[in-house]
This record gives sequence, C-alpha cells and structure tokens, in this order.
Amino acid sequence: MSALATYSAQFERYANALTAAERAPRSVQFSRFLDSGFPHKDLEDWRYSDLTALNERSFEPDVSASDDALPDLLLDGADTLVYVNGQVHPASTAARWHSDTCALPPPAVGIDALNAAFAAGGLRLRLDRGTRLDRPLQVLFCSRSDGQPTMSHQRHLIELGDDAEATVLLDFSGIGGERLSTHFFDIHLGRNAKLQLYRIQNEAAGGTLVTRIDARLSRDARLDGVTVDLGGGFVRHDLDLSLAESGAEATIAGLYAHARQSHIDNHVRIVHAAPHGTSRMNYRGLVDEKTKAVFNGKVVVQPGAQKTDSEQRIANVLLSRKAEVNAKPDLEIYADDVKCAHGATVGQLDAVALSYLRSRGIDHDTARAMLLRAFALQILDRIEWPALRARVETALHLPAELTLDIDA
Amino acid sequence: MLLEITNLHARVEEKEILKGLNLSIKPGEVHAIMGPNGAGKSTLSNVIAGREGYEVTDGSILFEGQDLLALDPEVRACAGIFLGFQYPVEIPGVSNMTLLKAAVNARRKHNGESEIAPNDFLTWVREQAKKVKIDPKMLSRGVNEGFSGGEKKRNEILQMLVLQPTLMILDETDSGLDIDALKIVSDGINALRGPARSTVLVTHYQRLLDYVQPDFVHVLARGRIVRSGGPELAKELEEKGYGWLEAA
Repeated sequence: MSALATYSAQFERYANALTAAERAPRSVQFSRFLDSGFPHKDLEDWRYSDLTALNERSFEPDVSASDDALPDLLLDGADTLVYVNGQVHPASTAARWHSDTCALPPPAVGIDALNAAFAAGGLRLRLDRGTRLDRPLQVLFCSRSDGQPTMSHQRHLIELGDDAEATVLLDFSGIGGERLSTHFFDIHLGRNAKLQLYRIQNEAAGGTLVTRIDARLSRDARLDGVTVDLGGGFVRHDLDLSLAESGAEATIAGLYAHARQSHIDNHVRIVHAAPHGTSRMNYRGLVDEKTKAVFNGKVVVQPGAQKTDSEQRIANVLLSRKAEVNAKPDLEIYADDVKCAHGATVGQLDAVALSYLRSRGIDHDTARAMLLRAFALQILDRIEWPALRARVETALHLPAELTLDIDA
Repeated sequence: MLLEITNLHARVEEKEILKGLNLSIKPGEVHAIMGPNGAGKSTLSNVIAGREGYEVTDGSILFEGQDLLALDPEVRACAGIFLGFQYPVEIPGVSNMTLLKAAVNARRKHNGESEIAPNDFLTWVREQAKKVKIDPKMLSRGVNEGFSGGEKKRNEILQMLVLQPTLMILDETDSGLDIDALKIVSDGINALRGPARSTVLVTHYQRLLDYVQPDFVHVLARGRIVRSGGPELAKELEEKGYGWLEAA
C-alpha cells in the first residue's frame, strides 16, 4: 500500500456522505494534501519537527459522540464547551458557542490541507459590539483512544466586535491512546476589543496535536495570551498574530515544562502591519528527560509600522543530558522609527543558588523545585485566573507550601 | 566540645589548601580566624558547611560528637550550623520570606516538630528584621534581588537570627561594610551570643573584633593554624601584619 493510502480510503468514505457542493472544495484540499504529504524537515518551518512517520499510519475518523464521564478538568466559575475526540459532550454548559459548520480556507498544503479536507465545526464565539462574556469560557478538547487510533480535525472561530471583551481557555487534555488531532482557530478582534486567551496543553504521550491560531487585531485591540505545555507526544503549535491597525497590542507569554519525553514545537509570529503597535513575547522552557523543545519566535515590522514597540525574550533551562532545545528568535524590520529587542538563552539550573538553599537546611529536591518554580514564575504570574493557575501549579508538581508566598 | 577539627586536609580542584588543621571550640566561645589572602580561611568555612567542590582528603570534624563530614550540607544546617556567605547569592523568584519559611520548616521537620504557624512566623521574622534594619517590604522580594552589598550581609544576619544556629560561621561578613552596617551586623552577632552557641569569625581585619570581642584569635597560614592567642593577638597582627608569622 502506498503512503497516505489509508487517508485516501478514509477521505473517500467521508466524502461519499457529503453533497456534491460540499464535496468539491474538500476534494481540492485533500488532493493538495496528497501532493504534499505530512510536513518534513526539509521545510524551513518544520526543520526540527518531522511528521512524515504519519504517512504510513492509519487513523479512523471519530464519528460517535461520547457521554462517558469526564476526568476532573472543568474549572469552577467558568462556562464550558467540551469536545471529546471532536464531538460535543453533554457536560457542556455553553453549547450555544458550538457550530456544526465551519468556513474552509483557500486551498492549502500539508497538514493545513488535511485539516481543511476533513474539517468539522467547533467553537464559534461571536460577540457583538460592546458586549462581554460575564464568565470565562473553558473550551476543553479531550482526546482519548482505546484501541484503533483515531483522528479529528476541527476549525474554530472567535470574533469579538468593537469594544467586546472575553476570557477564553483552550484546554487540550489527553487521557491516553494514539490519536491525531488538528485544530485551526481564526480570531478577529474589533476596535478596542480585548481577548484574554489561555492555551493549556497536557496531552498523553501517544497523541499528535497540531494547532494553529491566526489572529487579526484591529485598532487599539488587545490580545493577552498565555500558553502552557505540560506534556504531550508530538505537539506543534503555531501562533500567528497580525497587528493590522494602529495601536494594537499583543502580550504573549509561554511556558513549556514538566514534559518527560515529548516533542514540543512552538512557532510564534507577530506581524506589525500598522504604526503604534506594541508586542511582548516572553517564553520560558524547563526541558527535562528526553523532551525536545523547539521555539521559533519571529517579529516582522512592515514598512510604515512606525513607532512599533516590540520585545521578545526566550529563556530555557536544560535539566537532563538527553533533553534538547532549539530556540530561535528572529526579527525582520522594514521601518526606521521602531524599538525592538530580542534575546534567547539556554542554560542550566543555577548550581550556586542550589547550594545556597541547601546551606540553609533545605533538601536537594525541595531546593530544586523552588528554583524551577522561580524560573517559571514570570509566566505563572501572568495567569490571572486562580483556579487555572492552581491547576497548572499542581500539574508542575511544585511543593504546595512554596506556591503561596506570604505577604510580608 | 562543640566542634573538634583534627588534622584536616582539604583540596579544591586538585590543589591542597588545608594541610593538617586542628581547632577545638567549646560551647559559648567566639573564635576569630585571621590570616593572609589565600591561607585557606574561606576553604575552612566551606568545608565545615559542606559546600560542594571541596574535597576532604584526611582528618576529621566532629560536631557535638557526630561525624560532620558524613552529612549532606542541608543536614548540617538542620543540625545547627550556619554559614554566613562572603558573597551571598541573588535568587530572583524565591522570596526572602519563602526561603526563611522553607529553612525553618526543614529544621523543624529534622527535629520531629510540626510546621510553624504562619502568623507566629511572620511576627517572629518581622521582629528579627527590625534588629538588622531590613524593611519588611524587602522580605517579599527575591532573595538578595537588587540588594546592595551591605543589605546582602544584613540579610545573612537576618537569616541567622531567624534560624538560631548553634554554630555561626561568618566568612568575611565584615568585608565591604561601612561603619553603620558593621555596627548593625555586629549587634546581630552579639544578640545571639550565649552559653550554648559558638561563633567562628573569619576575617582579614581587626576592625570587626572591636565590635565582637573574641575569646580566641587564630592565625591561619599555609593551610594550618600557626599561632593562637587571646584578643591581644589581633592587635599585634594589626600592627605587624602577617609577614613575621608566615616566615616563621
């Protein structure tokens, strides 16, 4: 059987159930996928992340809805939209933000095309001008597989009108088994709209998760993003922001930590397309055991985007000899009146600080945990949702007595 | 005997620094260790505290009768040994308060006691901070983060006041201090003096000894203690320098 043959068989079965009008654009996408296959390391954007092993795999599409009990992942105080393997779960309290349908992109390549060929709907959060979500929205994407590997592909939309405000958590949690999930998010922020966007990834080791967020910010819009990777098998996350109009502001903080043998690849791209834009990118990685982390941060300042104020900071700590990190900050500037700073570091845990803490009676493991938390703190402090922060700190296995600082 | 050092040989990166050092300290005594640069004063402090990078090749150290060299540095600290560092490290992200709380609770756990009640602890730490003129606001900042040289040394003394060690080793705590800071640091050391607690002052200059009166003064040169005496020895050193002893 030739490479990708199982995907062809799956697509044929899937397309047969569609109307001719529905089928045509998806067939185009699928043939584009067949031409390109899964991304491989000869592609600049995939240099350290190769998915060609998937060419020979076989995944069944998920079709049946699950109403099995959920693991304890729902956060207090939030509205919830829950997907299990791409299907809406009855535990959702905010099913009104689900859409069965989705818009397809122009003909794509690679995994984008695969997603578009099979794409199901998903989150569709649309807020009118001046409205605001009273409670944060937790969108939980739960993946599990018991026997036959399965796959799901979804496309999502967040559209905030002028002056609208929302807090959204994209929560990717895996329970086990071999799965392939892809998610594409289109985000549009109107003038002066504010989106607090969290992304938490804690997939199981057998999962392949590819997510992409494209966001466009209008005049004076503001996007505050915090992304945390805590596990996973193969994880690729692209965040592509366009500060399309004057005065837009994006602050993105990221942490990847605690993974044991994951491949975690974050690609962040911020395009300043208009003047007076502000962007902050601050990523920190604690890379342990056999984990391989890739970080690619790019800021592009287009002609005319004067008075841009941009900063990107990437810091990594390698905690084991077998861990690997490839961090690359990148800056392209085509305007002359801008302020841009960037820097990337890879280091090890501070042995002098460790020795100092031990000299005060603190045992080695606790001292190490204190220093790991200290390193992650800049990012943890950006999580302004207490229940979410508590969940992340618990997942990081930080000693509980150290996670609450006493106010002096 | 609180501390008994016998024939101590130690090296750092293949270089032998201590070459058969003997020192006995009884409870309540204050010993000053003086000597020229490179004599091994800091090595002695670090070997007692158990810091990594120092290899003991011969000899023994007994602390309250137990073999100190067999213990990890954190266990030595829990047993009551405190080293005030010459160059205290900055640890952004770990607040002074968190460090103090973790250190106090580690010691309580070592002694089979329950964790300290947060309110009692706060009150206790604030009282000690006042003694070394550290603003309570600084306690919620990272350990020594952005502290001046003098503030770092005062912070070492604060940790010592909070932890109430049995043996205080102060490694050139007086270096780089102005006269006001020196007074504050000395007051902190004197406040802890008592019949059950001993002090080792490692210093290059006689200045600190005007404020903290030692019972014994030792001169460390070429990896050994070459002369011991009372406080008058420090004065003699101040006048004559170390050359006459090194040559001897």
